[in-house]
Amino acid sequence: MADALSSSAVSSNWWGALKARLPGGWGNAVAVGAGWLLLIIITGLRRPDFLSHQTILAVSFTMAIVGVLAVGQALVGVSGGYIDLSQPAGLILVAYAVTKLLEANVYGPLVLVIALVIGASWGLFNALIIVWGKLNPIIVTLATNFVVGALLFLVFQNAQVPINSDFAVNGKGYFLGLPNIWWPMVVLVLVVGFFLPRTRAGRHAIAVGGNAFAAQARGISLRTTRIAIFSLSGLCIGMAGILFASSNGPFVPTAGATFQLPVIAAVILSGVSLAGGRGSIWLILLSVGFLSTVPTSLVFFGLSSYWQAVFQGAILIVAVAIDGYRSRRQAR
Amino acid sequence: MHRTMKSLKLMALTAPLLALGWSGAAEAAKFKLGMAVGGQSVDWQKAQGDLARSLAEARGWDYVELSNNDDAALATKNADIFIQQGVNAVIQFNGHPEVNPVLAAKYAKANIPVVTYDIAQPGFYFVGIDNLAAGLAGGAALGEIAKSKWNCDVDLVMSAEGAGAGKINTWRTGGMRDGLKTVCPDIPEDHYVSFESNGNATVALPAARDLLAAHPDAKKILVVGINDGGVLGALQAAEQLGRADDIIGWGQDGSFITGPNVNPHLAGSVFYFLEGYAAYAFGDVIDGIAAGSPPPMKDTGDDPASKVKPCPVSKEAAAAIPDMAERLKQLQAAPKGTTEFDLFCPK
Repeated sequence: MADALSSSAVSSNWWGALKARLPGGWGNAVAVGAGWLLLIIITGLRRPDFLSHQTILAVSFTMAIVGVLAVGQALVGVSGGYIDLSQPAGLILVAYAVTKLLEANVYGPLVLVIALVIGASWGLFNALIIVWGKLNPIIVTLATNFVVGALLFLVFQNAQVPINSDFAVNGKGYFLGLPNIWWPMVVLVLVVGFFLPRTRAGRHAIAVGGNAFAAQARGISLRTTRIAIFSLSGLCIGMAGILFASSNGPFVPTAGATFQLPVIAAVILSGVSLAGGRGSIWLILLSVGFLSTVPTSLVFFGLSSYWQAVFQGAILIVAVAIDGYRSRRQAR
Repeated sequence: MHRTMKSLKLMALTAPLLALGWSGAAEAAKFKLGMAVGGQSVDWQKAQGDLARSLAEARGWDYVELSNNDDAALATKNADIFIQQGVNAVIQFNGHPEVNPVLAAKYAKANIPVVTYDIAQPGFYFVGIDNLAAGLAGGAALGEIAKSKWNCDVDLVMSAEGAGAGKINTWRTGGMRDGLKTVCPDIPEDHYVSFESNGNATVALPAARDLLAAHPDAKKILVVGINDGGVLGALQAAEQLGRADDIIGWGQDGSFITGPNVNPHLAGSVFYFLEGYAAYAFGDVIDGIAAGSPPPMKDTGDDPASKVKPCPVSKEAAAAIPDMAERLKQLQAAPKGTTEFDLFCPK
C-alpha cells in the first residue's frame, strides 16, 4: 500500500499507471502471479488432467482456511507486530467451541457470532498482554499458543462437528462450482485489502508498522492500534475456526499447527514486510493460490506428500530472503 | 541369671524398634507400579492410564502415573523419576522408540521390569496387538466388500500411511493391502497409491484431496490405513470433491466407528480396544511380578508376553459396541482376567 501510494505519485507513463493500479508491490504481484501460472502450465503439460474441476476444488479447499488466517497474520505484520504464533491454538479453541455449541443444538447463526467473538477475544487477550506488559509479540503469542494448546489437550482429545448438521453439510458444499468455504476467504481478502489503506484506522496501522516513533509523534496511539489490529486478527482466527470446523472431520488439539507454515509463507510471499509498514492484503489471494497449488502439483508429478513440506519450507526461505533484501534496500 | 535379665532387658528395648522396622518393611513391600502414558492427542492413551490406575488400586498397590507427552526427552526423564520413586515395575507406551535402548539401560541398572505396549524393545515385556494380523484381517474384510459390490474391479486403493510409526505402519497399512490382495488378487499394482496421514484426519485430508484430484477418473476407490483417523481424512476428501459415493474405507483402532458421528463411507474398523491393554499386562505380566514370580521374558511382537487379539468389526456390528467410557466401566466390573475382546468383540 505504501509502495502503491508512492509509486502513483511518480507514474507518468502507461507502465507507471499500471504499476500504480496494481495493489501493493507490483513486482510481487507479477512474480507470484507468473510463478503460479508457470506452475499450472508445467503441470498441465505433464498431466493434462491437472487442468480439471477436481484440481480447482482441491486447490480452493486448501486456500480457504490458509487465506483467512493469512489475512489476520498480514494485519499483524503490516502493523509491525511481526508475527502471530498463537493462530493454531486460537483456531482450535474456536473450532472446539463451535463443535460443543452445535452438539448442544445452539442456533446456527448464534454459533457463528459466538465463534467470531471468541476469535476476537483471543486476539484481544494476546494484545493486552503485549501492550500492557510491553512484551515481544512473537514471544507472547508463542507462549499463549503453548499454554492454551496444552489446556485444550486437557479438555479434549478428539472433537468433530456433528456430521449431519447443516454446518458440516455446508462446509463440504459448493457455490458457483467452488467450495462454500472459499468464498468467505475471497470476500475477506477483498474487503480488508480495500479498507486497510483507505480508512483512518487502517492508515494508522500501516503508519505504526512503518515507523512507530513517527506515528506516535503524529498522535497515533500505539496501544490502541495494536489492540485493534490483534483483535481484528483474532476475528480472522474466529472465521478460520468456523471454516475449519465445518469442513474438517475429527480434529485433535494440535491440528492447527498444520496451517502455521503455509500461512507465514503466504504472508511473506505476498510482500507483507514482517518489519511492518508495507504489504498488500489483496496479493494474499495470489500467494495463497500459488502455495496451495504447489502440493497438488507435486502429486501430479508423482512426488509423495513428504515433499510438500520440503517445498513449502524452501519457498518460505526464499520469501524471507526476498523480504530481507527489500528491507535492506529500503533502508539505504 | 544376671545375663538372662540383661538379655530380657535388651529384648524389651529392641522389640518396639523391631516392630517398627517390620511395619516399615511392610510399608516398603507395598507394590508400586509406574505408568508412563503416551501423551499423544488421542483419548485412548489417557484411558490406558485410567485403567491401569483402577486395576492397581483394586489390588491395593501404589500407582505413579507420568505422561511422556509424545516427547522422547520427557520419556527419558520419566524413567529417571520412576527409578527415583522406587517403583517395582513400569508400564509404558512410548511413541518414540529411538530412546527405548536408553530407557532399557536405565531400568536394567535399577532392576525394574518394564512392560511396553505395542512397540517392542529387547528386555521389555511386550504387550500389544498383533499388528500384522490386524492389518490382514481389516484388508480381507474390505476385500469382501469390494468383491460383493464391485467384483474386485477396483480403480484405486489409497493407503493412509503413518511413516513415523515405522514397522507398525508397515504391518498395519501394508498388512491391510496384503489382506485385500488375499480376496482381490487381481488389482493391478499401479492402482495402489499412498499418502502420508500421520494417523490424523487433519493431516490426511489435504494430502488425500490432492491424490484424488490426481486420479480424476477413479470411480471405485478403496481406502486402507494405519488407523481410523487417516482413513477418515481420505473419505472426507472424497466428500469435498463430490466423490463420496465412489469410496469405501476400512480403518484400524476403532476410534471413529462407534457413536453418533460415524462416516457413512467408513465400512468398518479393526478394534484393538487399546484402552484396555492393562487387562492383558496385569493378567499376564504385572501380577506375576508382584507375586514374586515374574513370567519368562518375551520381548518381541512375534512372541509377546501377552498378545492382544484384533477384532475386525463392520459398521453395522460396531453399532452394538458401547463407547470407550462404557467399555472401561464394564471391563473394570468384569471378573479378573477378562479382556475387552472377550466382552465386546462380535462372535
